[in-house]
Amino acid sequence: MELKQIIFELCDLASPSGFEEGAFGRISELLEPFVDEIKTDAMGNLIAAKKCGKSGAKKLMLDAHMDEIGLIITDIDKSGFLRFSNLGGVDPRMLPARELKILTDPPVFGVIDTMPPHALESGDSDKSIDAKKLYIDVGLSEEEAKRRIPLGTPAVFATGCKCLTENVICGKSLDDRACVSIIIKAMEMLKDADLDVDVYCLISTQEELGMRGAVTGTFSIDPDCAIAIDVTHASTPDSKKGETMEMRAGAAIGVGPNMNQNITSKLFEVAKEKNIPFQTEVMGGSSGTNGWVIQVSREGVSTAVLSLPIKYMHTPVETMDIEDASAVANLVAEFVKTLGKEDM
Amino acid sequence: MLETVKTLCALSGASGYEDDVRNYVLERVMPHADKITTDSMGNLIVSKKGKVQGSRKVMLCAHMDEVALIITGIDDDGYLHFDYLGGIDRRVIIGKRVYIGKNRTLGVVGIKAYHLVDKDEEKTVPKREDMYIDIGAKNREDAKSLVSLGDPVVFEDGIEEFGDGFIKAKALDDRVGCAALIELIESELPCDCIFVFTVQEEVGTRGAKVAANTVMPDCAIVLEGTTAADLPEVPEGKRICRLGYGLVIPFMDKGTIYSRSLYKTITELADKNEIKWQTKTMIAGGTDASAVQRSGIGVDTIAISAPLRNIHSPSSVAKISDFEEMPRLATLLLGKLAAE
Repeated sequence: MELKQIIFELCDLASPSGFEEGAFGRISELLEPFVDEIKTDAMGNLIAAKKCGKSGAKKLMLDAHMDEIGLIITDIDKSGFLRFSNLGGVDPRMLPARELKILTDPPVFGVIDTMPPHALESGDSDKSIDAKKLYIDVGLSEEEAKRRIPLGTPAVFATGCKCLTENVICGKSLDDRACVSIIIKAMEMLKDADLDVDVYCLISTQEELGMRGAVTGTFSIDPDCAIAIDVTHASTPDSKKGETMEMRAGAAIGVGPNMNQNITSKLFEVAKEKNIPFQTEVMGGSSGTNGWVIQVSREGVSTAVLSLPIKYMHTPVETMDIEDASAVANLVAEFVKTLGKEDM
Repeated sequence: MLETVKTLCALSGASGYEDDVRNYVLERVMPHADKITTDSMGNLIVSKKGKVQGSRKVMLCAHMDEVALIITGIDDDGYLHFDYLGGIDRRVIIGKRVYIGKNRTLGVVGIKAYHLVDKDEEKTVPKREDMYIDIGAKNREDAKSLVSLGDPVVFEDGIEEFGDGFIKAKALDDRVGCAALIELIESELPCDCIFVFTVQEEVGTRGAKVAANTVMPDCAIVLEGTTAADLPEVPEGKRICRLGYGLVIPFMDKGTIYSRSLYKTITELADKNEIKWQTKTMIAGGTDASAVQRSGIGVDTIAISAPLRNIHSPSSVAKISDFEEMPRLATLLLGKLAAE
């Protein structure tokens, strides 16, 4: 399957933090032809293993998270409007007039209502609205809403992926389903390769709530070395220079204390040798990815962080270039191929 | 009528760029009309005879245009800048997808990632001049090959029926009125009528002004979508009107004090025929009536509106049962006018 097609399909799935069963099944199906076993754990992580069959082989873990930011219904008022809290970092400024899919079975469509401009006071438009003052309109009475939507039901943005240009994809949950897709693609590239390491894929849960799935997933896999693959910020007209990477400049290789030097330098070598476009992302502290918890799992895991630059992260219109995603997938696959025992 | 509303809402019709809507309407009404003209502004004027001529010349109108944006600049990196066409609260366009120009180039109104926003910034909304549309272009030249300055920009056109008989779409204001006019033209009319599908309502009822001068009616019925603020945070007195409570017959809005005799006639007809109706509980908004009423020697004018939540946003919401009664109530009023 084309990488773009995998991304479109996975991003359209609803998989908010803590409710990742919406993505688990399809990701398993896509990984299955390329791995030897797939299992899950108490946190809902998807753990897939491809064994090289060589005795004493070391374990490499590839991580990407399958959860996306979302909302969770906390109350239903007497007019049938739903109150909500956030699952992960949700900018309240992009919520007015936002369309949602509320994850009942079957799902319920909802819109976050907003005051009409005719009824606003001057200056109102300059102020953002606190999420606590917003509510979801599902077009149902209180009784019917309560019957159909139990408290604790999660919701996601109702925005499917579309292409802005042939290569530029725009939609929800590219963070981090695009990188889950990258892992699937890399595993496909490695299908017939003669490897010296066992490759484990950790498709983790609850990253958006503080890297929770990766904590138990890494403990369970007990890898020798790992690459956390996540999205990073691409520059936009309203971002500061130096805060962001560039879109269309290739895979962002993380550098800093969260990234172990041995494995990181090997990533740079492979990228140069194979002519894979890359850029360097320097991070002083936490990489803000699962790499942060993976690195200090058990007795420590040699960790690298590879990132896909995207714009408008955590909005329903995250935007990326497919060429960058291909670069990350190629780099992962080439890196795994060259990895031997001496590297860990 | 619902299917017509859906078809109409999916069409692009920014103020001043109503061509797609006009072409569709033209196709629909052509087999039923006695005479059709388009004026220099782009208004579509359709005459159709009824059972009687009627003592007064009756005009019915609805506007084809929708609130939108217009491209005002292209920067070095290929991002587009814009201004508004009509009244838009810029908070509803953040992170929304849009279609630009005749080729319907897809773009998105960008916003800095939440992670990069500080506490103070989170409380404010970017100014319009700092907002931008991303079309995935590599640079200015690349963008210029896809879009031009002056291209109109409409919201993404997903349409959803949901809840207990609700519909979500862009441009319900005033495609509901246009759909009602089409229904009327396709029906047998009590008296001769002139229907006007107007342009540029959202930038100041400019189409209706010249159309009324052309038609010179004695009386006019404006079919509209109107602002509902029936939301939890809004006190009773400021809700304007409510979804699910029927058509809105205003006695007054910001632009017009409606004909008192027509108001009395139409509300009595609604009561008698058990058509749910409500009036506006706050003086807000305006319609083409403001231009029509004060044209020529003056025109007896009334409006029939459908209540809409999130009006002027990509996600307007209507209750289907509210607007579906619009043609019936208009026909009843035409019957009354025919008998005069």
